[in-house]
Amino acid sequence: MMQTANIQRDLDPVKKQTAGTKILLAVLFLLGAVLVLAGILGMNKFTASGFDNESAYAAIYHLGGEIEKDWDVQLRPGLETLDEKDRAFLEERALALLTEAWVKQRPEAAGELDEILSGAGEERGDKVFKLLYATYSLNGPSVKTSAKKGIYAIPAAEREAFRRELLLCAADAERPLPEAAVTPVGNAEGDERVAMLLQLYFISYDDNGDCLDTEYVNVLKKAVRNKSVLITTFPMIANGDVNWAQQLVIGNGRTVILAGILLMFDVMLLFFLMLSEKNWIFDGKWIVILLIVDFLLVFQVLPLFYLVIKAFLPEGSFSFQTLERLFSYSLNVEALKNTMIAATATMLLGTLLAFPLAWLVGRTNLYGKKFFRSLFVLTYMVPPYVGAMAWLRLLNPNVGTINQWLRTIFALADEPGPMNVYSIGGLIWVLTTFYYPYAFITISRAMEKMDPSLEEASRISGASPVKTLFRITLPMMLPSLISGALLVFICAASCYGIPSIIGSPGKVHTVTTRIVEYVSLGSQGINDATGLAVFLMVVAIIILLVSDFVLAKKQYITVSGKSVRPAIVDLRKWRIPITILVSLFAVIVIVIPFATILLTSFKVDVGKSVLTAGNFTVNSWKEIFGRIETMSCLKNSLIFGAVTATVGIIVACVMSYLLQRTRVKGRKIPDFLIALGSGSPSVVIALGLIMTMKGDFGINIYNTAYIMIVAYLIKYMMMGMRTVVSAMSQIHVSLEECSQISGASWFRTMFRITGPLIFPSIAAGWFLIFIPSFYELSMTTLLYSSTTKTIGFQLYEYWTFTSQPQSCAMAFGILLIVVLLNFILNRLTKGEFSI
Amino acid sequence: MASVTIKHVTKAFGDNVVLKEFDQVFNDGEFITLLGPSGCGKTTMLRMIAGFEKPTSGEIMIGDKVVSGGKTFLPPEKRDIGMVFQSYAVWPHMTVFENVAYPLKIKHVKKDEIKAEVNRVLEIVHLSQYAQRIPSQLSGGQQQRVALARALVARPQLLLLDEPLSNLDAKLRESMRFEIKEIQNRLGITVVYVTHDQTEAMAMSDRIILINRGEIQQVGTPAEIYNNPANQFVADFLGKVDFLKGEVANGRISIAGTDQSIPYTGDKTGNVELAIRPERITLSLDGGDLAGVLESQYYLGDINDCRVKVGEKSVRVIAAPETYSRMKPGDTVYLTFREQIIFDDDGDIDEKLKIMT
Repeated sequence: MMQTANIQRDLDPVKKQTAGTKILLAVLFLLGAVLVLAGILGMNKFTASGFDNESAYAAIYHLGGEIEKDWDVQLRPGLETLDEKDRAFLEERALALLTEAWVKQRPEAAGELDEILSGAGEERGDKVFKLLYATYSLNGPSVKTSAKKGIYAIPAAEREAFRRELLLCAADAERPLPEAAVTPVGNAEGDERVAMLLQLYFISYDDNGDCLDTEYVNVLKKAVRNKSVLITTFPMIANGDVNWAQQLVIGNGRTVILAGILLMFDVMLLFFLMLSEKNWIFDGKWIVILLIVDFLLVFQVLPLFYLVIKAFLPEGSFSFQTLERLFSYSLNVEALKNTMIAATATMLLGTLLAFPLAWLVGRTNLYGKKFFRSLFVLTYMVPPYVGAMAWLRLLNPNVGTINQWLRTIFALADEPGPMNVYSIGGLIWVLTTFYYPYAFITISRAMEKMDPSLEEASRISGASPVKTLFRITLPMMLPSLISGALLVFICAASCYGIPSIIGSPGKVHTVTTRIVEYVSLGSQGINDATGLAVFLMVVAIIILLVSDFVLAKKQYITVSGKSVRPAIVDLRKWRIPITILVSLFAVIVIVIPFATILLTSFKVDVGKSVLTAGNFTVNSWKEIFGRIETMSCLKNSLIFGAVTATVGIIVACVMSYLLQRTRVKGRKIPDFLIALGSGSPSVVIALGLIMTMKGDFGINIYNTAYIMIVAYLIKYMMMGMRTVVSAMSQIHVSLEECSQISGASWFRTMFRITGPLIFPSIAAGWFLIFIPSFYELSMTTLLYSSTTKTIGFQLYEYWTFTSQPQSCAMAFGILLIVVLLNFILNRLTKGEFSI
Repeated sequence: MASVTIKHVTKAFGDNVVLKEFDQVFNDGEFITLLGPSGCGKTTMLRMIAGFEKPTSGEIMIGDKVVSGGKTFLPPEKRDIGMVFQSYAVWPHMTVFENVAYPLKIKHVKKDEIKAEVNRVLEIVHLSQYAQRIPSQLSGGQQQRVALARALVARPQLLLLDEPLSNLDAKLRESMRFEIKEIQNRLGITVVYVTHDQTEAMAMSDRIILINRGEIQQVGTPAEIYNNPANQFVADFLGKVDFLKGEVANGRISIAGTDQSIPYTGDKTGNVELAIRPERITLSLDGGDLAGVLESQYYLGDINDCRVKVGEKSVRVIAAPETYSRMKPGDTVYLTFREQIIFDDDGDIDEKLKIMT
């Protein structure tokens, strides 16, 4: 009211302000355009001044010395095992390939090559290989991390021979590849084949005899790129052609373009917001909104959008080529089928378990309801792959504990079985035991919110408890039931941890495991992965929309009465049998798996009982605490989790304030984007980030901690936000208004009134972001580098390649940390929250 | 129709006794109100009659059938009761017709019979034209009537109403009050009505059972309870009242904190407490039983609402509107009590008036 009055009184200043705002917007928009233009010019100038392949070769040339120093250790042992004849042949062949590659780019390179190699004497051969490797690493396809699995599996004794074979195959295109190299090399031919083999060669050892990461390749690429920037811009600066600012633009053309585009976009968005507001007074809140939107645009919308483009426009024009090729492989079709079957079965099974459990816990006089409730909810906070590990130990067809028991009890023949976890059935079972809590939580929440007198009205109308359950409770719960079921479906469909552990030995492929496999195949693989990822994303988005629609359309809002004590259904003679049944369920899905993890961590031979003489050891625990690498992974996980949670909760608080306390236009945009991000399957997010964050779009955070934190934020920010938003919506705005009317400033009000009131939710939100980020696996598998390995990934590596007991010790450690955090949270919020 | 007999019912949640020794008979066709502040145990009593709570001890009979007591416990669906909930509890996933038809469907009544019965009760609650609506399209008052129709459709022997009007706005509440009363008169059904609103209770009930802190304070018709409250709490809860302390001596009560006294003909002796209702005091400017000083006055059109200081106590007086212009705060005025209720002063009035929530 007052504002309107002011506006009318001082009409002229407002007009002036309107004009001023419009001019400012125009100027900013132009600035954006200028940045884009400058960026393009910079890139052109950069290219014109010799970047691109040519300057990359120059860079390699300049790097020559450094390459030599660092890589001796890797190359020597391999070359030394060759006999004189093979060696000479190999060197000759390598030199030919190298010369061909270099001269193809620029004729004068032959001279440079001679210059580099001259005077190398005995090390000439080494140097040729190194240069060849560097050249291919930059321009050729690269071997992705997970393809190294095969190499890990090679016993140390056979590695020498394997490496020699790699070199010989590189020299001879006809020579059959050693078995472990078949998958990584794939169908590559000619130069690509050589490049792949050489990379395999280089990554098959490091100083300790462990496998090297492909990160070597990436470090090299970065080094070359930096060198070439220097090479091109130094002379220009030296000649006085450019100043430092120009150099910045030339060296970072793409980044400048990105910044320009974002600025233009922001100004446009702002313009439309102001237009629809019919108010040209600039609101500071818009800056906050735009910042969040910009972040999500770059790190979420762009990657996801790029995936779609890649899938449908592989060659720049629209085609189904990628998809056709993809689905002509029976493996992919099978993966698709498996994913749909597993997700559907998990959804049905999980909901069928969750609804009766939620009802028993919420509406009957089951013994120990509260205990069961927290127990079922706790599973929600356990990393799913831990469950997969436990069930593997229990249901392994040969040495699975349960299988062994069953064979003993029923005196079955000593052959594999009777149950096999490495199957689609096993996959469904493990997925169900880990995702039914999602439905359980959704349904129990809705049940708590439901006015109990709705059920009482049915009872007094003459309906028995069972009739009431089916005619009133169930139909009323239907929207939540459906959305809970869909949540389970999408979680199961986009889960990577469980199928990668259960599925890979049993060759049960799912879409997520196929995506990760494809990514490991290098550039062509990544393109193929996009098709599968887009499929998964489309499924997720459809389900997100359906779920929203169902909830919005059919959410029954009931006036809540004062009767907070729901009518408890007396189970009477069934009370004890049902309690026993529920306990049995809890023992099977919770106690036994966790106990298995704990026991396995103390075993020497995982196939035997821990009580067998000599099979008990605490070495695994000693090992994991003693190993620097594991501890540094743990440190990484804690840091990434804490940073993600802190940044996430700040955004969550800001967003909650904007959503709940302001009517500023455009506040729904970041809200929508955040929801979209959390609904996207992890593997898809990670894939999108891999493809777009290598510098091609002006940002290069590939292989850094940032890319992981960004991925975690996109996926898990929503969890914190939802908690804070709902807490804020429960605080009536009058509490804040009352503080302000008492003379407190906005800041004081936030810190003295709102802050303390929603603190428990903020703390809970922080933990809700922290915990999944802390043990994340799906995204980490695709995004990690040797310096950013996390405890989740370390555990997965040890499970797959090294030692299951040690892996179990880590898993149990993670469980302990999660339980401890839960305890801290409970204390911190005075019992109001626990997960 | 049926009577309800409640014998020595006590209800405790853990150590917390919410209802003590409730012992009453509700007659056939009677409109009984359980009245009391929130937390007094009235809803618990109602829910025990309905069968949603089990008495800790005691016996409940509907008609001559024991529904709760000893080893017998009939679940709600077997008690043949209609009930209207505070939140209406109209099922949002069913139409008005389906909501009302539900109790009959459960009883496997024939389809055409259901239709006739539902139409009959919808007629009674004036909702015939809304039969096919879903509840979210109805106003609060209409939902309320759907709940009432559903409670009545199966011709129950007993109708329970749990603060059914508390979520309605003031005007609607008043009209619903008479509608419910009218329906009860027409059907002659026994009604147990729970409320904390004394006006509601006074307007509708045949008998009121006033409860505080789990104990019955007084049972009687509205007039009995208003005019002859059993204790200070009852006097205070029903209507407006001020208390003055005094001492009986020589046929007069000397008012504490003053040197005045008023005539007394009753048989109480020693320390007493006078409960005086503001509308039963005559105020005059030129003489009366008790002198006091006018503290404030508010002109409300039909009355002049005054506060008069007598000794240390402030007494509210409803005076004729024309007195407003004839006096001002600070003036000495005279009060004559046309009627007063006198209690023995046990010194525990604060304790008695305390409401536990």
